[in-house]
Amino acid sequence: MATQQATPSRGEILKRLREQHAETFARTQALLKEQKRIEQVICSAIRETAKTVPQIAEEVGMPAPEVLWYVASFKKYGMLVEKGMCGDYPLYQKVEKK
Amino acid sequence: MKDLKVDALVVGGGIAGMQAALDLGDQGFQVALVEREPSIGGKMITLSKVFPTLDCCSCITTPKMSAVAHHPNIKLLTYCEVESIQENEKGFAVATVQKPRYVDEATCTGCRLCEYACPITVPSSFDRGLGSYRAIRVPFSTAVPQIAVLDMDNCILCGKCEKACPVDAVVLSQQPEPFTIHATAIILATGFELNELGAKKEYGAAKLPNVIDPLMMERFLSPTGPYGRVLRPGDGMEPTTIAYVQCAGSRDKTLGIEYCSRVCCMYAIKQAMLISGALPMAEITIYYMDIRTFGKGYEQFYQNAKAMGVEFVRGKVASIHEDEKHNPIVKMELTEEGRIIERTHDLVVLSLGMIPAVSSSGFGLVPASDGFISVPAPNASPTVTERPGIFVTGTAGGPMDIVDSIVTAGSAASEASAYIRSKTMIAESQSEVAYA
Repeated sequence: MATQQATPSRGEILKRLREQHAETFARTQALLKEQKRIEQVICSAIRETAKTVPQIAEEVGMPAPEVLWYVASFKKYGMLVEKGMCGDYPLYQKVEKK
Repeated sequence: MKDLKVDALVVGGGIAGMQAALDLGDQGFQVALVEREPSIGGKMITLSKVFPTLDCCSCITTPKMSAVAHHPNIKLLTYCEVESIQENEKGFAVATVQKPRYVDEATCTGCRLCEYACPITVPSSFDRGLGSYRAIRVPFSTAVPQIAVLDMDNCILCGKCEKACPVDAVVLSQQPEPFTIHATAIILATGFELNELGAKKEYGAAKLPNVIDPLMMERFLSPTGPYGRVLRPGDGMEPTTIAYVQCAGSRDKTLGIEYCSRVCCMYAIKQAMLISGALPMAEITIYYMDIRTFGKGYEQFYQNAKAMGVEFVRGKVASIHEDEKHNPIVKMELTEEGRIIERTHDLVVLSLGMIPAVSSSGFGLVPASDGFISVPAPNASPTVTERPGIFVTGTAGGPMDIVDSIVTAGSAASEASAYIRSKTMIAESQSEVAYA
C-alpha cells in the first residue's frame, strides 16, 4: 500500500500538495463557494413548502437538470426528503436539523 | 510496497477477473488481482438485475467480491495501475503503481465520517455522473475493500476529514508507489466501456437531457441509484413513455463499430421488464433492426416481455431531437412498411455498443480488427492470446454477457493453470538435469 514518506511536517505536506494541485485547488475553492450558494438558495426554496424540481428550478433560476443533481445529492446526505408526488413529479422538502 | 512473486496475475477486478482469480486460488495457485479503481466489482456491481433470471446483481457479485478479498491465495491490490509488462525466462515482471488513497488502508474502518464531513460534492462515476459523492468517500455502499479514498483533484485541504476520522486514517503524505509483480502467467480481464453517448450526432450528441445510456438506466433501476427511483434526468419527472433505440452504437460503419455488441437486445428487454415493474403505467417501446436472443432462456425472456406489453417496433431510427419541454422525438423508418414516423417520448435510452476499456498494445498484444484483445484461435482456444503465458477473459476479448464472462473466466483459469504447471515442470526438469 502507499505509505508515509520520511516524516515531513504537516505544513510541508500541505505546501507540497497545494503546489502540486495548484490549478485544481483554485477551481475547487471556487466550486465550494458556488455549491454553498446553491445549497442555500435551494434549501431556502423548499424550507416551508415541498416543491418539484421544475418548481425549484423556476424559483432559483437554475437549469432543471442541475437542480435535480443537487436535490439527489441533498437527499443522499439526508438534507431533504421526498414528500409525495405532484402529478408525475416527486416533491422535495428540506429536513430541519434537530 | 514490496515486490510480489505469484503464480498468476489477474488484471481487472470485474466479474471475469474475480472469477478467474477465485478459480486459480481454489486450485492452490498464488494469485495477485490488480484493479485500477478503489474497489473491485467492475461494471456488474453497478447493474440492477441480470437477464434472463432477473436475479439481483449485487447478490451475485458481492459474495464473489468478498471471497476474493478473504481468499488465502489471492492478494487483492486495488487502486493500482499496471504500467508495463516485461517478459523474462521465469515469466513476467509487471511494473505496477499503487496510487495514493491519502487514507491508511490498515487503519480505515470505512465508517464514512470523513465523507459526511467533507464539504465538496462531486459527480459520482459509480452513478454515471447523475448522482454525487464527496471528495473523500467510500466509493459505494458495497465496495470491497470498504476503505475511503481522497480525490485530491477535488480537495481544498480544509482538514475536516482529518478531524472527523476517529482513527486518524487520513494520511496526506502518501505518494504514488511503484512496485513489481513477478508472475508466471497473466490473465487480462480489463473489461469494456460503452461507446460515447454523443458519438452519433443524429441522436442528439449527448446534448438532450432526456436521452441517456443503458448504464444510467441500470442505476435508476437499482435500489441504491441516484434518485432511488426511475426519474428522467432532465427535470425529475417520472416518465410514462420510454423508448429504447437498439444498435445505437454498434453495427454502424459510420461509428467504425461494425460488430454486434451481443448484449444490447437482452439488456434492453430486461430493463423494459424492470421498468414495467417499477412504473406499471409506463408505455415502453423498443425500436430494433433485429432482436438477437441467442442464449439459454433468452428467447422465452423476449416472448415474456412481449406478453407483458412491451412494444417492439422494427425499423431504423434516423434521428432524435426534442420539443420545447425537452421530450425526445424519435424519427424512424418502419422498414417493414416503408414509411417514416415520428414519436415523442418522455425518456429515450440509447442501446450503446461495447468498446475495449484499454488498449491491447499496453500488454504487448496486437489488437484484433474490432479493437479488443486478439485471440488467434477463437474457436479452439478462445482465451489464449498470441503471447504465450497471457490469457484473456470476459469483455476484454470482445462483447459478451455475464454468463459468457464467467465461462471464459473458468476457461482462462484452466489455460493459465496448465501453462503454470508446464512451466514449473520444465523448470524442475532443468534443475534435475543440472543436478545430474
